[in-house]
Amino acid sequence: MARLLEVNNLRTQFFTQDGVVNAVNGISYTLDEGETLGIVGESGCGKSVGVMSLIKLIPTPPGKIVEGSVIFNGENLIDMSDGEIRSVRGNKIGMIFQDPMTSLNPVLTIGRQIQEALELHMGMDKAQSKARAIELLELVGIPSAADRINDYPHQFSGGMRQRVMIAIGLSCNPQLLIADEPTTALDVTIQAQIVDLVKKLRDDLGMAIIWITHDLGVVAGLADRMLVMYAGMIVEEAPVKELYANPSHPYTVGLLGSLPRLDQVSGEKLDSIEGLPPDLIDLPKGCPFHARCKYRIEKCFTENPPLKTIGVGHKAACWIDVTKDPITTERPYQEV
Amino acid sequence: MAVKAIPHAKIKKPRTMWGDVVLRFSQNLPAMMGLIVVIGLYAVALLAPILVTTNYTAIDLDNVRSAPSLVHYLGTDELGRDVYSRVVWAARSAAFVSIFVPALSLSLGLFFGIIAGYVGGWVDTIVMRLGDILFAFPGLLFVFFIAATIKPAILLWVKGIGLTEFAKQGFVDYIVVFTALSLVGWPGLARLVRGQFLTLRNREFVLAAEAIGVSQWRIALKHILPNAMTPVIVVVSGGIGGTIAAETSLSFLGIGLQPPNPSWGQMISDYYIYWRNTELWPLLFIPSIILVVIILAFTFVGDGLHEALNPYLD
Repeated sequence: MARLLEVNNLRTQFFTQDGVVNAVNGISYTLDEGETLGIVGESGCGKSVGVMSLIKLIPTPPGKIVEGSVIFNGENLIDMSDGEIRSVRGNKIGMIFQDPMTSLNPVLTIGRQIQEALELHMGMDKAQSKARAIELLELVGIPSAADRINDYPHQFSGGMRQRVMIAIGLSCNPQLLIADEPTTALDVTIQAQIVDLVKKLRDDLGMAIIWITHDLGVVAGLADRMLVMYAGMIVEEAPVKELYANPSHPYTVGLLGSLPRLDQVSGEKLDSIEGLPPDLIDLPKGCPFHARCKYRIEKCFTENPPLKTIGVGHKAACWIDVTKDPITTERPYQEV
Repeated sequence: MAVKAIPHAKIKKPRTMWGDVVLRFSQNLPAMMGLIVVIGLYAVALLAPILVTTNYTAIDLDNVRSAPSLVHYLGTDELGRDVYSRVVWAARSAAFVSIFVPALSLSLGLFFGIIAGYVGGWVDTIVMRLGDILFAFPGLLFVFFIAATIKPAILLWVKGIGLTEFAKQGFVDYIVVFTALSLVGWPGLARLVRGQFLTLRNREFVLAAEAIGVSQWRIALKHILPNAMTPVIVVVSGGIGGTIAAETSLSFLGIGLQPPNPSWGQMISDYYIYWRNTELWPLLFIPSIILVVIILAFTFVGDGLHEALNPYLD
């Protein structure tokens, strides 16, 4: 399959009163056409900023993409002018946001909001875009779409609004759909419906997907490949089955260990990763995870491990081998 | 036997926001009465040429300072002009003021408010300080000042572009009054619009619009502005009564609309000497009462809109 997206050493910073926030610290990855990439990590580890930087949706100022390139279809998106990047957004790259309750404009009809992108990028007139909007609403499973097109967002439930957001994201047949935690604000049954819908649409339409989540369960059945991010860096990258079977970074091990399991012995305590992610203004020397790591060794305090290949398509940024090396400290985290 | 098609459950026609507003407004008695009076004002203004009994400038020298009669319904003034016709004709002045001044203030307020709130930075600072300067003057005093100072300039300009006829017909007075009132009216609206834009531009739907490639100005005008309009409509409609009162004050003091253009303020000023005259009192009281009713009517309509647009006020 052809290469669709290539991110090289992307670095995004926010220049605030308190100092420079290192939100994304030199991440590199690739995405093929039709491939689904899951990005996981806890809140504030640069997942969203990382993908927003791809289409330059960073509020500038204070944000700034200070380094790196994003090659999409052979063109560097970072070098594009405002006008050029606008013709990519919503057209070649669609986006779905986390909270469908606030991402739709409350005073515009559902139809108007879907038609906006169609008229902007596909050169459709009102009648054509309306016909297409009805088609899209049917595609994402809104019943009696032709009637509901004149409704306002408050007349839709959360799950239906997220379906509308997906319809907007897909309206111009994008090659890449970025989904920024699209199921986080929904309840569990609706989550499953939305994931199934996206899976079906991907198989029908063949677009690539970047799916951000902090819920490892949601992406397991959806993604082909996974990225694990921590403190604005990629700490592990692997095909989805490999990641769940052989997690190779202590952070990934911790994330998987903190999931409840069906075969768990009753009364057994869930593992947690103690402590908080580091302050992105003042990143610690060495590995960003060392303060919370059970496997840490002397070297972790002084040197940040590079992302190195450890298997087929499997990379991890760690000095030790979690499958062989012993746990060095049971309760590593100390309050400062 | 053919199976009868099952009738679909009737789908309720979605109620639009404006549909709800109209419904709530129509259930508000004072607002509806106000609306009727306001419509009456515009009807009289529109039909003034039919309603008058004689030209509002015509002088009847046989009947100077006459009491109400069948010929002159409201009597005549000291120049022998028919007061009824002047009162009717003055509805045009009030109607003009009630349309053009809010429209002009709204345009200025929206323009500056959107620029200040959306562009921000030094543009915001300059626009808002300009507004603050205008705010610093006592409102009506500043209107007097503007009306008194810009009139010669506008007169010169109107004659310069060859509209001498217009200049004679008091067209300039209208421009002076409208400009003066609008210049004082816009800073409040600009502040309001700016505040709305400051909160709305950080909302997620703005980011979502950016993510589908909508341009900045389109976002400002098509996505944010409709969300910002509700309080603006309330303030503008609530201010119309005050605007008419301000025009009346200007005309009362002789720096508003000039004779022969009739204005209720001017008539009150001209006729208030008759306020204890047993025969001629209608000359003063009729324009005064009409003025009060009209201003109250606009206020009720404004309040009604306010309540209709904010249904959760108690």
